[in-house]
Amino acid sequence: MNLYKYASPTMFYPLAGKMIPWFSTAAAILFTTGLFVGFFIAPSDFQQGEAYRIIFIHVPAAWMGMFLYVLMAIYAGIGWAFNARLASMMASSLAITGAMFTAISLVTGAFWGKPTWGTWWVWDARMTSTLILMFLYIGFISLQAAIDDPRKADRAGAVLALVGVINVPIIYFSVNWWNTLHQGATIRILQKPTIRGSMLAALLIMLAACWLYSVAVVLMRLRCIILEREQNAARFAEVGV
Amino acid sequence: MLRWIVWRDLMLAWRRRTDMLSTVFFFVIVVSLFPLGIGPETQLLRTIAPGVVWVAALLASMLSLGRLFANDYHDGTLEQLLLTPQPLVLVVLGKTLAHWIVAEVPLVLIAPLVGVQFDLSSQTLWVLFASLLLGTPVLSLIGSVGAALTLGLRGGGVLISILVLPLYIPALIFGSGAVAASIMGMSAAPHLSLLGAFAIVSLLFSPWATAAALRISLE
Amino acid sequence: MNWPDLSMGGYGFYIWGSYAFSLIAIVWEVVSLSQRKKALTQQQRQSSDTVPASVLRGSANETTS
Repeated sequence: MNLYKYASPTMFYPLAGKMIPWFSTAAAILFTTGLFVGFFIAPSDFQQGEAYRIIFIHVPAAWMGMFLYVLMAIYAGIGWAFNARLASMMASSLAITGAMFTAISLVTGAFWGKPTWGTWWVWDARMTSTLILMFLYIGFISLQAAIDDPRKADRAGAVLALVGVINVPIIYFSVNWWNTLHQGATIRILQKPTIRGSMLAALLIMLAACWLYSVAVVLMRLRCIILEREQNAARFAEVGV
Repeated sequence: MLRWIVWRDLMLAWRRRTDMLSTVFFFVIVVSLFPLGIGPETQLLRTIAPGVVWVAALLASMLSLGRLFANDYHDGTLEQLLLTPQPLVLVVLGKTLAHWIVAEVPLVLIAPLVGVQFDLSSQTLWVLFASLLLGTPVLSLIGSVGAALTLGLRGGGVLISILVLPLYIPALIFGSGAVAASIMGMSAAPHLSLLGAFAIVSLLFSPWATAAALRISLE
Repeated sequence: MNWPDLSMGGYGFYIWGSYAFSLIAIVWEVVSLSQRKKALTQQQRQSSDTVPASVLRGSANETTS
């Protein structure tokens, strides 16, 4: 079976179309299950009471934000190194979903911080790093938006994404350092509650749900990008594949 | 070749001295605005001084980065430089070095003077000087990547800032941290060594990224 | 299995606020994507040549030679 044909955007388009319904249905089912377990089965936390239940969306969103950035950089790199258009289109598609999850992570983090620590924003290492990740996403999206030629935008974005991904550990390290220095006392902000079995289960189910959702949404956007950029794919739109 | 590139850029910058001066003036004005905006209480000023001076240096660098490649790009010299048998990385290094000399060193030299506005001790002023001396190469190096990526694009200076400022954050943290440590009477050595390490890493990686970005922008 | 009270021990605003924002973000993403797709297909339909749809549908299943 020749899988390499799917490296062509035009060939991948119908395959992506077939994949989307499966992933979105699975995502919907897992979201429901995860929230059910998180709200109806997991008990309330000893220290934080009910407020901790925000982690069931906050933590998966944060992980997805980080994971999608790395994935985006990998696809962008492949698209640049192998001159593979589809890989670059994947990177561009991932960017917006990754930024969205990062935004969710920031907002839900603020909503979690207010009842537990009294302030909407805390400059702890994780929230600050998430904020910087948001800036990195915005940079990538802005750069690609500013360049008219699609292939040039792909390659420029690849350089930026790869520079960013190499910098991310350095940035995280420096933010951690900055945070411990200025904090003095060892208060761990936004400390996770002691994880019980059902909490962990809910967390993992929600993470899987977010991942499945991401696949579906990224493929949807990818199809739009293919339609916009590929001449041959135009016929698919007319026919309703 | 490297010497030639550096010398050429220095000569060109000297012909447009006012650009160089305006960067310095911008730096001085921005730093002076903070006490005006916050209040003259010396204890508070001493606390904010490291961050303020460093952020002002970052912003002043943003202004000068646009000029790094743009002039050569507009008159076609950059394309010619790409076609020479010399490795592009060498060209990039030369131009970045020239940028550092022209745009950043004046900031480093004048920083202790503006630091006096914040009632910093002379030892702290030395640390400030050292931190900027180590940190400004990073600003030039990482900034050159942003300048190369945004060549000829609309959105110009703001776009460079969006791309490059997040990448400057480690330098900002270690640089201002060094000064803050000195103010509190502690050793700035760990901060400065981390800053130095970051500078070396930037030197090792940025020129290649910038060269790649130049080829992409000029195709 | 425990039935949680809707006020979530007083934290209701924060919990429901978080999930509401997340839901809005997800819905926004999906809706804007489907609108984008719709606009694109309309655009293509308007500017297409008159090739029979059955021919096009058949070629969509071909492998590349």
